[in-house]
Formats: sequence, structure tokens, C-alpha cells
Amino acid sequence: MPSLLTRVKSKMSIFAHRKARGMLDGEYGSVFKGRSLDFDDLRVYVPGDEVRDIDWKASARHGSPLIKRYVAVRRQAVLLVTDTGRNMAALSFGGEEKKDIAVMALGVVGYLAQRHGDVVGLVCGDGSSTRSLPAKAGEAHLERLLRDVNGHTGLSSPPSSLGEQLSYVARNYRQRMLLFVVADEVVVDAAMEQLLRRLRAQHEVLWLTVRDAELAGPASVRHAGGGEPADAAPADRFDVADALLLPGRLVVSDAVIRAYAAAQEQRDMKRQAVLRRLGIAHVHAGSSHDVLPAVFTLLERHRRGK
Amino acid sequence: MELIFWWMIPVALLLAGATYWALRKGPGGDESVPRPVAHSHRLTELPEYQAAVRRHRRWLTVAAVAGGVAMAAAVVAAARPAERSTVSPEQRNRDIILCLDASGSMSSADAAVAEVFARLAQGFDGERLGLTVFDSSAVQVIPLTDDYDYVQEQLKVAKEAFDGTPGSAGFLDGTWNGAGSSLIGDGLASCVQGFPATGALTPGGTGRTEERSRSVILATDNFVSGEPIFTLEEAGSLARKQGVRVYALNPGDFDYGTDPEQPGAKLRAVAEGTGGAYYPLDSPEAAADIIRRVQSTEATAFSAAPQAAVSDRAEIPLGIALVSGLVLAGATWRLRR
Repeated sequence: MPSLLTRVKSKMSIFAHRKARGMLDGEYGSVFKGRSLDFDDLRVYVPGDEVRDIDWKASARHGSPLIKRYVAVRRQAVLLVTDTGRNMAALSFGGEEKKDIAVMALGVVGYLAQRHGDVVGLVCGDGSSTRSLPAKAGEAHLERLLRDVNGHTGLSSPPSSLGEQLSYVARNYRQRMLLFVVADEVVVDAAMEQLLRRLRAQHEVLWLTVRDAELAGPASVRHAGGGEPADAAPADRFDVADALLLPGRLVVSDAVIRAYAAAQEQRDMKRQAVLRRLGIAHVHAGSSHDVLPAVFTLLERHRRGK
Repeated sequence: MELIFWWMIPVALLLAGATYWALRKGPGGDESVPRPVAHSHRLTELPEYQAAVRRHRRWLTVAAVAGGVAMAAAVVAAARPAERSTVSPEQRNRDIILCLDASGSMSSADAAVAEVFARLAQGFDGERLGLTVFDSSAVQVIPLTDDYDYVQEQLKVAKEAFDGTPGSAGFLDGTWNGAGSSLIGDGLASCVQGFPATGALTPGGTGRTEERSRSVILATDNFVSGEPIFTLEEAGSLARKQGVRVYALNPGDFDYGTDPEQPGAKLRAVAEGTGGAYYPLDSPEAAADIIRRVQSTEATAFSAAPQAAVSDRAEIPLGIALVSGLVLAGATWRLRR
């Protein structure tokens, strides 16, 4: 099995060539204002400050003592939270398995974090059990996390329930961390909103939604297979939860497509509204190509949101 | 109604059962494997989707029923439903020539015979009818034909002529060309000659004439005046040779005693000699009754062994198969859209 992290890194290098090199690292670093030894700003000296922190040159120009302020070098802990239930083995909007996109997103953020010297942990699971892997540094550890997610997600896994993983985090972690949640198009109900509010009070939360396969509409036809005419019916699908068969022919009518699109838009709006209200940065990714721009946008949004 | 290949139905049922079993047993591995998706209830709970499912299910039901009915009807048609019936061919191939003595004393009886046959001709199917009128010479008014409209029309004209309706006397033209009058023997011989020769070719030349019963209805009082070429007895033997039965109707049977030389007795002898019968006619109205009797004796005389005819009756199952095939095509088209 090829290394999952290698795949992540190759994707990142392509992206880095396209955007400015190192931009992602910068975006990531700014999340905590964690520019380690970097100079942060100057402030007026108050009694009790360390005398060696006085910036003499600036004080001379200014006329009164100024203190150089550094952001303390501190190991951040990044906790990857994801769902390894059956839902994530289903198809995504772009036609891949959703877990591939999830692994890519987790890998990108994890790799950024470990390059930054942060430790990366994992909480994942499904409706029946939740596992955690301790936060450690190093690529080997990150690879292990990704393999754990990849290996535990399959059509025979138990059903998904992201709320379980979130409440596990709320119960078991006392330390302030950066939570990076990767989920599919979950409905954030009142209970989950409560839980997220609780988590948000303790942690920084970033949220990436992996888009589900479109069940009715033009995109559902596009992935049915290559070389098919434009008006072909989508392929037959089945639900991972109960193996219910969804014949493709039934979703070709305009009424169904319109109704589905309207309901989909409403769900998206609602999820975005809830997360915005909670101050959680949120992006969508429909395929693994979307992951890097999405993570970039996510970090950007998070920074601006502060 | 019976099935000729009745074993088709168990065979078809067995085949259907085997196909069903194989389909059930075998993998449903067609080329499009369903693909896994999550949150399908987001689609299935849409009322529009449920309506589409209902519609689809309805058309599927229609298609399944139509397909099943078409199959069943095709199997029934393949089993050859047939109707077995007995036909009595002798009813269909009789040749009757009316041989009417046109002398004045006979006109009312002739009119009655013509009227009866005009009525009977309506119910004929396959029988051929001819009309020959004779007095001193014979005229073939209607050659042996199965054109019943023409027969009826001519018989109507004949009846009018016999009834003496003004302007209709021309009908009997040509019956006085010979010497004398009421030359019964000649008349009967002419009538007998009116039948096609036995073993003659059919008009189309396709083969020999089928075996047909031949009878002559001879209405005469057998009062001869003149020298006929054929005597009555000679004409009778000619008829016998040709296989023609003579049924004689005599409205003027004035025989007295049992002398075989009297005209009525002679006529009876000739008629019965050909296998026919002799009926004295008391009144013209009795003619209908007698002719019915003649018809029935003819029928019994020719009641050969009834033949079994088997005719395929596949039109009903095939019609059902066609209709359900069309329905199936429509439903399939609807389902494919």
C-alpha cells in the first residue's frame, strides 16, 4: 500500500507550485499567531516587565520605554476529528469515496501541523465506538493516523454518528487544541449545536464538509460512467445505511431534480448558518482536488474570523 | 374448443419455472453495479421522488402484467386451440333442376313450385339450382348455377308468367317449337342433360367435378299429346344412367284403378325407377310441403358419414397477445423515458 502521506505531500507540492510557495505554511502559522520566535508587537513598558525585553532603539525613537513582545514558543496540539462510519465509504460529489477526500484533508492539515512542529492526534469512530490516538509529532505518526482512518472506513463499518466523536472530545480533552473536523453533510441539530458551542469555548474549531454524492441532478449523471450521452439516466445507487436501492431512472424528472436541489440548498444554508453563528470556520470539498484550495480558504477564513 | 398441442402448456410452465429459478438463483450481475451513497432519505423523503416511484411502480406493474398476459396468450396460441366440428357435405353439393311442364293445365302448380324454390333459394349455400321449362320443346331458363340472386329473380319472373300476369308471357317463348305439346319425355331428357356430364372438368380446369347429388323436380301431369323423341321411360333410364333422381309432382293425378298404363302410374314408375319419388299434388299450396319432404329425403339419402373438421381458433389468443404486446411496448417506452 502506497504511503497515504506521500500522496498528500505530492498533492501539496503541486498546489504550492501553483500558489505562492509556502503560503499554506504561513496560513497555518497564523492560525495560532504562533510565529514562534517571531517578533509580535511593541507595547508601553509597565513596571514588572523584564528589563531585557525593552527595545532600546525603539524606546529611543519613541521617547518612552517600549517592550518587545514575543509570542511564546509553544507546542500546539492539533486534533483531527473524523467519522469512520459507513457513510464515509459512500460516494462523494466528485465520484470518489468520501473517505479518500477525508484522508486527503486530514493529511494536509496534519502535515502542515507537523511541519510547524505541532503534535497531531486523532479521534475517529462510528456510531458504536470511538477511538483516539494520542497527539505526537512526526510523519510516521501522521501516516499511522491516516491509515487508521483509511482502514476503518468501509461499507461493512457500523453506521456513522459524528456526535459521538464530538462528545468524546468534549469529555476527554482538557487541553486547548485546534480541532479539525472532517465530516460529510451532517445535519447540525440542536444537540450538536450545544456540543459545538461547548467545544468552541475550549478549542479552535475548523470544519471541512465533504460533499455527498448528488442524488438527483446533473452531477449524478456525470459520474455514472464515462462516454454516456448527456441525457442518460444516472447509475443505480444504494444507500450504505440500509442497502435501499435507488434506481437511477427515477431521478431524471425535472420535478425531482428541482425539489432535491432546493432541499440541498436549504440544508447547506442551514449548516453554514449554524457554524457561522458558532464562530466555526467552515468549507466544502467535493473531490480530493478541492481539498487544498478548501484548506487554504478554511485557514484564511479562520484567521479573518478572529 | 380443444388444444392440439396441449403439452405446450406444461412445457411452457416448466420453462417459465426454470427461468424464474435461474434468475432467482443466478447473480444479478448486470453491467451496472449499484454505487454506494449516503443519506438517501434526503432523496426518498421528497414527495416528488415518492410520486416518481409510484409512477414507476405503476408502469412496472402494467408492463409485468402485459408481458405475462402476452406470454400466456402466445403459449395458448402455440398450443393450437382448435374447434372440432362435424360437417355434412351432402347438404352443400346438391344440384337441383326444376323441370316444369308449361302446358296450361300446370300453371298453378308451376307457380307454386317456382315460389317455393324462390323462397328456398334464400337459404341455399353451395347447392346449385337450374330451371328448365318445357312444353313441346324445352327451354333452359336458368342453367345450373349458385347465383341465388339471379335464381330468385328468374323464379319470380317465372311465377308471374305462370300466374298469367299481363306482359310476362314472353317468358315461355320457345317452348312450342316442336310438334305437339307436353312432350314429357323430351322435357325430362332435356332436364337430365342440363347436368354437367359425370367426370367433366370443372370450368377452371382444375380437376374433375366433385361428387354431387343430382335431382330433378319434375312437375307434370303426364298428359302427352304428340310424338316425343324420348319416351318417358327412355328419359327415366337416361336419368338413372346419369345418376339423377327424379321427383315427380303431379297436380292432375286422375288415375283410376291400378292399370300401370295410366299416366300417373307411369310417372310414378319412372320416378321411383330413378330412386326418386312420386307425389300427387292435391292443391298448389301442398307443393311447399312436398318439396320440403323431397328436401329431407334428399338429405337423408345423402347423409354420408359426417366428417370431422378441425379449424384452428388462434385468433383470440393471438389478438390478446397483440394487444398486450402493444401495451408492453407502451409501458416499456414510458419506463425508459
